Amino acid sequence: MEESPKTELFTVPIGPQHPALKEPSHFRITVDGEVVTDAFVRLGYAHRGIEKAAESRNWVRNLYLFERVCGICSHIHATAYCLGVERLAGVEAPPRAQAIRVLVAELERVHSHLLWLGVAAHEAGFDTLFMYSWRDREAIMDVLEGLTGNRVNYSANVLGGVKNDVDAAQRDAILRAIDGLEGRSRHYLDVVTTDALFLQRTRGIGVMTRNQAEVMGAVGPTARASGVTRDVRVDAPYAAYDRFPIMRIVETGGDLEARFVVRLRELFESYRLIRFLLDNLPEGEIRGRMPRRVPEGETISRVEAPRGELFYFLKSNGSDTPERVKVRTPTIYNLTSVVKLVVGHQLADVPMILAGIDPCFSCNDRSVQLDDTDGRTRVWTWEQLRRYSLEVEHGRSL
Amino acid sequence: MDAASSLAAILFFPSGAFLLVASLAYEWVDRKLLAQFQNRLGPRWFQPLADVIKLLAKEEVVPQGVNRWLFVGLPIVGLAAPLTAALYIPLAGLAPVFSFPGDLIVTIYLLSLLTMAIGLAGSNALGRFSLVGATRTLTQLFSYEAPFLLALLGPALVAGSWQIGTITQVASQRWFILTQPLGFVVALIGLMGKLELPPFDAPEAETEVVAGALTEYSGRGLALFRLGKAVELVLGLTLVAAFYLGGVNGVAAFFLKTLILLLLVAGMQAVLARLRIDQTVGLWWRFGVLLVLVQWAITWLLRGAWR
Amino acid sequence: MKLATMIQDVIPSLFRAPITERYPFERREAPERLRSLLAWDRESCTGCGMCATDCPSQAIELVVFDKKAKNIVFGLHVDRCTFCGQCTFSCKQGSLTLEHDHWELASLDRGQLMIHFGDAKDVQDVLAGITSRPSELPPAEGRGSAPAPAAPAAPAATEVPGG
Repeated sequence: MEESPKTELFTVPIGPQHPALKEPSHFRITVDGEVVTDAFVRLGYAHRGIEKAAESRNWVRNLYLFERVCGICSHIHATAYCLGVERLAGVEAPPRAQAIRVLVAELERVHSHLLWLGVAAHEAGFDTLFMYSWRDREAIMDVLEGLTGNRVNYSANVLGGVKNDVDAAQRDAILRAIDGLEGRSRHYLDVVTTDALFLQRTRGIGVMTRNQAEVMGAVGPTARASGVTRDVRVDAPYAAYDRFPIMRIVETGGDLEARFVVRLRELFESYRLIRFLLDNLPEGEIRGRMPRRVPEGETISRVEAPRGELFYFLKSNGSDTPERVKVRTPTIYNLTSVVKLVVGHQLADVPMILAGIDPCFSCNDRSVQLDDTDGRTRVWTWEQLRRYSLEVEHGRSL
Repeated sequence: MDAASSLAAILFFPSGAFLLVASLAYEWVDRKLLAQFQNRLGPRWFQPLADVIKLLAKEEVVPQGVNRWLFVGLPIVGLAAPLTAALYIPLAGLAPVFSFPGDLIVTIYLLSLLTMAIGLAGSNALGRFSLVGATRTLTQLFSYEAPFLLALLGPALVAGSWQIGTITQVASQRWFILTQPLGFVVALIGLMGKLELPPFDAPEAETEVVAGALTEYSGRGLALFRLGKAVELVLGLTLVAAFYLGGVNGVAAFFLKTLILLLLVAGMQAVLARLRIDQTVGLWWRFGVLLVLVQWAITWLLRGAWR
Repeated sequence: MKLATMIQDVIPSLFRAPITERYPFERREAPERLRSLLAWDRESCTGCGMCATDCPSQAIELVVFDKKAKNIVFGLHVDRCTFCGQCTFSCKQGSLTLEHDHWELASLDRGQLMIHFGDAKDVQDVLAGITSRPSELPPAEGRGSAPAPAAPAAPAATEVPGG
């Protein structure tokens, strides 16, 4: 706890209603002129009680509940859930189904990264890039609509497999869309790495060293932009990633520009994998039999959402309703980094740094969060507690 | 000029009603061009008018603790100033309604009154975002007025006069864009900075300070400020066209030249990303003023050649 | 470091038509697999009610008067339906499908958003609040026999919204 200096400190509230935020959250930014001196985050505005609601719905209904944790990465939530439940039930979805799950997951990653590119560009005031990247994203939305039946919340999964198969027409549509997008993605990578004005907003801003990333527990492209070589699809392959491996995309810059580059380069990996999948889809069924009552047990399910590691914990008590489902989303890991990194930057950089982690606040509000977001453990030893109380009593700062 | 025709000039043409309609039309063209550059549809022709009507119909919410007179009065000043400045500017291809030696300086001051009014309004409004926005607006005012003024003085130097009427007459004989290209670039970009158009829209950066100095305004106050900005767009374009693109003789030349400039301005809006306020200021206090001074130096040295 | 990198997109767009589709004047053909309004086949339905059990938003209300004679009324809350398609998979008889072009379902009238599929007489009874009829055989006791809403104030809701 520091004593506040005698200068004019000024708090700017960002959120819960603010044009910079696509979803509600509260950041209290203390500024001195235009320089940020402190940041404080408060969440909970999009909490919907999903985990509690899951306890009174059967396993089948819950699939659709968890799919709606997030609109942008809905499929990966559903996949994580399905993988967990299938593991508890001792059922293995057929290889073709797993491959189609991966196909839709990679298509979703493409759509999510393009969406993020537009939103981040908008935060930087570069509306033209926003409009063009979202225009190009429509190609993927149409492909997903043609494949699964909906543009968002694809509901491609059922417990035990997938709903829709990939036939020749679908395959052609996907390949056509990917071909078009590949050229556009190259153009965007070029824009993001060479546009002088855009670089002024991203190069050298929000630098996070590898050590900082590890300590703060950052995940996903945010961490990979700082040199952390962690990607659940590679480290712990799930669904069909063991048969269809993917390469980790890592940059070492650690600044906002590196985060842009990582996500754009991930697009190319996704295109490659999608093409490979479409040429090598395993034959067979797309659904397996699932019991209505899932045997007792606990399991975890780790997947790589477009934003980072997504973690599900499922506990069954042998009935057709889950005992507990716990979701840990990537943004909650990455928010710590935002709060730490904005200090010392200008106010105008705050929305950019926030956009750099690709925040998804509706994913976030999983449970009541503690105020303290600097990663320190809240379990104090007796000595720490005693020391703190003495210092407060004697008015000394730590 | 007698009182009746002066009044008509102020109320109807070329200032007043004509200017207000023209400013709404120019705002529409700007938004439509920007949309076209971004491969989308853009608003229909009556959108700016609809915006103004809607805002005028809304309730004006005066925040607690602000100076009520300033809150209500500053938007009025903000619109009145450019409408007055219009009397000295060759609108619609006609000679300025009023003219006297030194009116260039008066016009520029009147044009900058709008930005000052916005800055004051933001400081008065006491909200966090208003204060940050007001600081940025006033900072940008200081950085852009200077290069803009200096760029307009380039042609004035050659014309040997500070009277807009005289300068435009000299300008219609020679196109200053050819002889003072640097000055033209600075004038155009200075105009964009003055009007807080992207990429110089840090003072009202939606994703950072909501609406900057105008955050607390809604209803009539916001309508008047927005109208003031639209009017300044027209006036600024007219000045730059008159000085650099060979004067504005006739209605057709007026519309053609200002719309070409607007095309350039919209293009720059589309293609450039927003600058942070410190980058904006740094850019123009170093670059802009330097360019203009270089231009002046060249003009001064070569003035012998032109005579 | 280049300036204006998007210029290669921006300039050509000046001469191209905008990509915006002017709905409803330009209406695209819905893809084959688009999940829109539910369709129910009475003949193949056995009244098991799995669809109602598995619906994530409890949009289905099945009233079974007589399984053998197919006196079944399928009630659908269109405003609750999320068009997920789970019911089509839960149904082992294949009685449920999702239409592909019936997606313009917005309505100003809540009553229009509750549809009852079934034989006219059965539907009338359900709308009047009757959920079972005395017959020679004991009424079918199914897992899916969900009670109809108590006093439906809605007008005759067999009109499918969206025309």
